[in-house]
Formats: sequence, structure tokens, C-alpha cells
Amino acid sequence: MGKKRKHSETVASAPAKKDAPERPQRTILGWKDKNNTNNNEAQVTESTVGFKNKEKDNKVESKESKGATLNELVELKSCSSCLFFECRKQKDLYLWMAKCPNGPSVKFLVNAVHTMEELKLTGNHLQGSRPILTFSSNFDKNAHWKLLKEMITQIFGVPKEHRKSKPYHDHVFVFSIVDDHIWFRNYQISVPHNESIKIARGGLENSTLIEVGPRFCLNPIKIFGGSFGGPTLYENPFYISPNQIRAIEKKKKAGKYAKKVKAKTRRKVHELSNPLEPDEFADMWKE
Amino acid sequence: MGLPKKGPTLLKKKKMEDDEEEIADLSPEVSDSEPESEPELESESELEDEDLKLAEPSKNAIYNTDGIIDKLGDISFPDNVGWIHRLSVDIDQEQEVDVNDDLARELAFYNQALEGTRKAFEKLQAMGLPFLRPSDYYAEMVKTDSHMEKVKGRLLAEKRRIEEAEERKKTREAKKLAKEVQAQKAKERAKQKKEGIESVKKWRKQRQQSGFAKDDDGGKEMDFSFEDGKAFERSGKKRPGVMPGDRSGGKMRQGGGKGKSQKKREFRNSKFGFGGRKGLKKQSTAEATNDFRDFKKGNVSGNKKRKR
Repeated sequence: MGKKRKHSETVASAPAKKDAPERPQRTILGWKDKNNTNNNEAQVTESTVGFKNKEKDNKVESKESKGATLNELVELKSCSSCLFFECRKQKDLYLWMAKCPNGPSVKFLVNAVHTMEELKLTGNHLQGSRPILTFSSNFDKNAHWKLLKEMITQIFGVPKEHRKSKPYHDHVFVFSIVDDHIWFRNYQISVPHNESIKIARGGLENSTLIEVGPRFCLNPIKIFGGSFGGPTLYENPFYISPNQIRAIEKKKKAGKYAKKVKAKTRRKVHELSNPLEPDEFADMWKE
Repeated sequence: MGLPKKGPTLLKKKKMEDDEEEIADLSPEVSDSEPESEPELESESELEDEDLKLAEPSKNAIYNTDGIIDKLGDISFPDNVGWIHRLSVDIDQEQEVDVNDDLARELAFYNQALEGTRKAFEKLQAMGLPFLRPSDYYAEMVKTDSHMEKVKGRLLAEKRRIEEAEERKKTREAKKLAKEVQAQKAKERAKQKKEGIESVKKWRKQRQQSGFAKDDDGGKEMDFSFEDGKAFERSGKKRPGVMPGDRSGGKMRQGGGKGKSQKKREFRNSKFGFGGRKGLKKQSTAEATNDFRDFKKGNVSGNKKRKR
């Protein structure tokens, strides 16, 4: 995964103005796990972290004390949030979202990933333009969803007047909770060419959305109080880890042969215990 | 291509059935006890996603509401931060979306995005800020040009494929239609023929009934339907290389069109003769009798014995 970081300077060096308190400063660091070979993951990283306000960094090497290393790195870069893609067994992708100095952090299981590379997703938009974030109304249902919403707003949104951002808005992010998962979509806002002048004054009647990608679905597992650690604030009560799912599947498969053998012996026993009655016509034609 | 095609979410569907069975395997006693104790949970367990869910929320799951709200207060932007900094829009989701209905789900997302765009646009408009990029503003895009080329190629290929399929469909239909027309024509022709024969029969009967009385009139009463020359009119089609009376359509002359066997046949005809009675050829005629070419007078060498 040759996604080396390209920009070594941190974004936090945005000029400090007088209205600084009004503008929240935030920067994001995105990491990948060392043993990431999952293709999907790279694409997600590229496309979400690839918005230029975020820093991309090398893979994290150490296996144990991952959290501590990450925190250190974040501090080194003086960033305020972190996205960390963790890949296990080359098939399960987890996403950590963390607010860095003192939490909270969330761990998601990522599934149903479609990358930007897919040719079915035909949209395209400016790199670094600020996305419009849309949330479905059920984010206000529970406390933990509210927290997640705030974190997503801060992490996925591009800060205003960011050095590398563009002054236009040509794409929309969709965050929607369906079936207790957060579904993510990214659409390009497209308007027919000859109407782009009119749009400045009129409405957006003829605008259509074209999906840019990526798509993924986040299943929150746990929310921690600190960044990459700390007390657990929330635990998904419905969550089963993919490992468990696979184990169950395997067990089911393993049972198949045992069942067959068992059925065979049962049949044998049954035949032995209920012998056929001697046929009275057996030697009728034998003379 | 207004609305992008909703790509099938491949990853999730295939495992669905297995998962359902597994749920049953996992917690038979749970699902038994469920209906009377917690009926509202049933809907939860029915909502299957690509990944398994516990049929029942685990009892010892942590939910520290106070802690969460605390943290939320910690991280959230101060109140005086303007909307322009967050750029987030909340959209009402009218009804629950069925996760497993791909189309409905994607449509819900699309609508949410569209609604959000409208709202954001209004707000930005009110602030007098630019929204979409001008058409002459070029900058680096998220997807590279080479990638977009690929996308375009794919779209074009798809379009072409669809067009081709349409074309094929059209020709097939045309063929079917042509067949029908042909059948109709044949039917009509048969009908015409039958009518002609019928009219002749009728005429004959009439004539018989009237005792051939008007025969001397010179056939004035013969008004067949074919008399106007329509029924037996030849079709205007020219048949090149076909003799006027040839019903086979010129196939007889071509000898079936088989060149090799044709040659063989010709050879054999020349060798063994073809056509007509053989007997007539072998009879002597007056001509043959009067022909003395073969009769040589002076040649006595032939039947010496007999002569002498």
C-alpha cells in the first residue's frame, strides 16, 4: 500500500486570526494498520482521508500498544482527530475515529464497502472542496448517536478557509442510520451545463446527484472515553464479531459429516433391532 | 444519466439465508422465550444485515449516558460557531427504511442528499457565498482523468451494448412480422384459387341445368370471375432464366444445381443414350435400307468359303 504521505506539514499551522475562538481548529490524521492488505481499506482511506485537510501517514508498525503509539503520533503532528483503519486477518476492516488529546474514540466495523475505483460510481468532484454533511434525523434519537454525529461533523467536515480547501461546494455526504448502522454515501452535485449560470440566482431545480463513492456501512462496536482507550461509554448490545460468525459457520459445516455418520449407525441399530419377518412365500417357486 | 445506477450491494445479500439459519441455531431458547417477554425485540431480530446481530441485546452491554453526554459537551463546538463551519444539515427521514430493499434504501439516501443540497444552497445563497464551482474553474479532482476516461468508456460500452440488443430485437420482430405477412399472402392466394375453381364449377352446373341452351350464343353468359383476367394474371415479377411454363422456377434446367453430378449425368447420357424409346432407334428405316455405304462390292475376302 504505497499510500505514503505527501504533505508533511501539519494543517494546524493555519494562520491564527483574531476570530480564532469562533473558528474551531481541527486537523485529522489518518492511519492504516501495518498489516493492511485489504484492498477496500486502502480505497476508503484514500477517499476519506484524501481530502486534503487531513494528513495521511505511514502505517503503524507496532502491534501491541497500538493505542499509545497512535496517540504519540497524533501529538507529534499536533492534530485534533484521528482516523485509523485497522485490518484484521486480511478480511475484517475496523475503523477507529478518535478525538485526540482526550477522547472520545469510537470503534466501528466497516462492511459493504464499495470503493471509488468502481466504474459504476461515475461522479467526480473537486479535491478539497468542502462537503455538505447531511444527517438523517434519527441521529438525535440517542445520546451515543448524538456523540457520533458531532464526531463525524468534526472529522469528515473540511474546516472553513482551510489552506487547501476550495471555495465551492460540489459534493454531499450522506450519513444515515438504518438498522443501527451508519451508512455513508458521497454524491456529486451536478447541474446541466447551460444552467450553471442561472443557478447563481435561481434555484437548484434541475440539479441531479451522481454518486462518487466510496460507499460503506459502519457498525459501531464501542465508544471509549479517551482517545484509543479509556473507559467504555457505550457497547453495541447487538454486536457479534465476524470471528464468531465464522466460527458458527464452521461449526455448522463440521456437523454435517458427524450427522451423516450418526444417521448411518442409527439406521444399522434400527435394522438390527427390528429384523424382517421371515417371508412365507420365499421358497415358493423353488420346489 | 441523471440518477446513477444503484450498484448492487454485493457483499451483503449472499449470506442472508445462512445468517437466518444461524440465528435459529444460535439461540433457539432465546427465540422461544422472546414473543411473550419482549415482543418489540422481534422486529429487531428480523432486521438482518450483512452481519449477524444478536437476537436480543446482551444484558451486560455498557451504556453510560452521562459519560457520553459529558464527552459530547467536551468536544462539541462552542455555540457561537456559525453554521458555515460545520456545513451540516439534518434531514427528516419520513419512514423507516427497509435495509434489505436495496433500491428503496439507496433512494432514501439519494433523497436525503438532494434535500440537504437544497437546504445548504438556500443558506449559502442567503449568505451570498458561492456554491457550485464555475465552469471555468479547473482544479485537481478526486478521481484522475485516466480513471474518468475508464468510467466514460464503460458507460459508452454499456450504451452500445444496449443499442445492439435493441437492434437485434427489432430485426427479430421484423422477421416475425414478415413471416406473418407471407402467411397471409399465401392464404389469400389459396383463397383466390379456390374461388376461381368454384366459379368454374358453378358455371358448369348452371350450363348443365339450363341444358346447354345458350351454348350457341357463343358463350356470352360465361362471366367467370376470372374472365376479367385477374385471377390468372401472372404476377408482375420477372423470373430471369425461367421458361414461361416452368413451374419449378427454373430449377429443372439447372439440374438441381449440382455441378458434379450434372456432368456425370451428361457423360452417361452420351454413352448410354437418353430419352425416347430405344426400340425405335433400333428399327431399320427406309433410309437405312437404302444406304449402301457400308456395302462394299469388290471385297470378296470376307466370305470366301461361302462364295466358293
